[in-house]
Amino acid sequence: MNFNFSFAIEIVPRVLEGIGNTVMIAIISFIGAAALGLFWELLRRSHATIRPVIQFVIDAIRSTPALVQIYFLFFVLPYYGLTLPALLVGSFGLSFYYSGYMSEVFKAGIDAVPAGQSEAAQSLGLSWADMIRFVILPQMLRNVAAPLGAYSISILKSTPLLAVISVPELLGSALDVASDTYRYAEPMFDVGVLFLAMSLVAVAGITQLERRLGLTAPSH
Amino acid sequence: MSFFAILRSIYEGFGITAAVATLGLFFAIPFAVIAGVLQHFATGPLRWIVTAIIEFWRSSSVIVLLYAFYYTLPAFGIFLSGITVGAMVLGFNIGGYGSQSVRAALQSLNKGQREAGLALGLSRFDVLRLIELPQAITAMFPTFINQAIQLIKGTTLVSLIALTDMTFRAKQISELGYNPVGIYSALALSYLILCYPVTIFGRKVERRFATRKAR
Repeated sequence: MNFNFSFAIEIVPRVLEGIGNTVMIAIISFIGAAALGLFWELLRRSHATIRPVIQFVIDAIRSTPALVQIYFLFFVLPYYGLTLPALLVGSFGLSFYYSGYMSEVFKAGIDAVPAGQSEAAQSLGLSWADMIRFVILPQMLRNVAAPLGAYSISILKSTPLLAVISVPELLGSALDVASDTYRYAEPMFDVGVLFLAMSLVAVAGITQLERRLGLTAPSH
Repeated sequence: MSFFAILRSIYEGFGITAAVATLGLFFAIPFAVIAGVLQHFATGPLRWIVTAIIEFWRSSSVIVLLYAFYYTLPAFGIFLSGITVGAMVLGFNIGGYGSQSVRAALQSLNKGQREAGLALGLSRFDVLRLIELPQAITAMFPTFINQAIQLIKGTTLVSLIALTDMTFRAKQISELGYNPVGIYSALALSYLILCYPVTIFGRKVERRFATRKAR
């Protein structure tokens, strides 16, 4: 078997058919992960008694592989009668996996808001929910923007995991081409180059965005 | 099959999981140290080359790289075993992230350390080997633990290139009978047993380092 460059170029349009799904999965998963991550963090802060429980949940999410979580959702949900499109199930899986990391981002972002802010809010008589909503969250957003940007790229790079539950994203359509033509080397090469290009473009875009917003990565 | 039997059956794949993770570290650690040090010291074209190599391993999607190397290398006449390809791809990917920790740790060292070493008559290489690297590696220990966890979790991907790791065992068992809840709970538990203690250990170390820094 030899590597055929003209074949590799010829199949690019067929491989690219999956790009819409890839972008869609990345966006759904990012929003889902951020929302769920913020939920975990607020829950962790809300009450001292449930804190260790939520901490365990977050650590457990971070201690199991994304692929295993995706398989779990994909095979276990139908058992309980919940059959959803694979794209949605996979995006939930990625959201769940990354929510564990996002919660840590939000934790650091909230911790970085000076204690005087919440003390002032309390002495002004704001309720807990109002304090979070009007005082803490707006200030936190600035702290978390850079790490969230970094995780958005990680999520983009994890989207091909959904190929294993037969979602036709980039890797999935490359695998389709491979099984149609019995040639694996060229489609896999193409998808490798495409992902590298996509992630480099995404990194450049996010760096640009951070610069425009006047953000710098917080020190770790 | 009882839950315990499933769990035991999944752990038949532990050998492959452990082998890929351990071999992966043998790729990751040297790559992280060498690439990180080179990126810190090199100038001009060498620096570009090192940066390009690091970015290639760091910016690509691991699962895509795994497929790409596994299926493309033979077309170029390079035949490697699945374990080698898996360990290499996962190792270099984690090593790419690690190299950035090494570089950052070297950059954040007080330059008085280097000056003192040079003033004592040590060669530049000895200053790096005896003074800078030991401190840098100590400083990046918490990061190292987190990346080791990423590597262990990453080994699940080798099930996709037909290596019989724990995840692959679960897929095999799932063909014997319909019991998704039992099998996939057991699979998640198997990885939890492996990684949870490391996660907790990592958190402890991180906290200790944070308080040490604050002092």
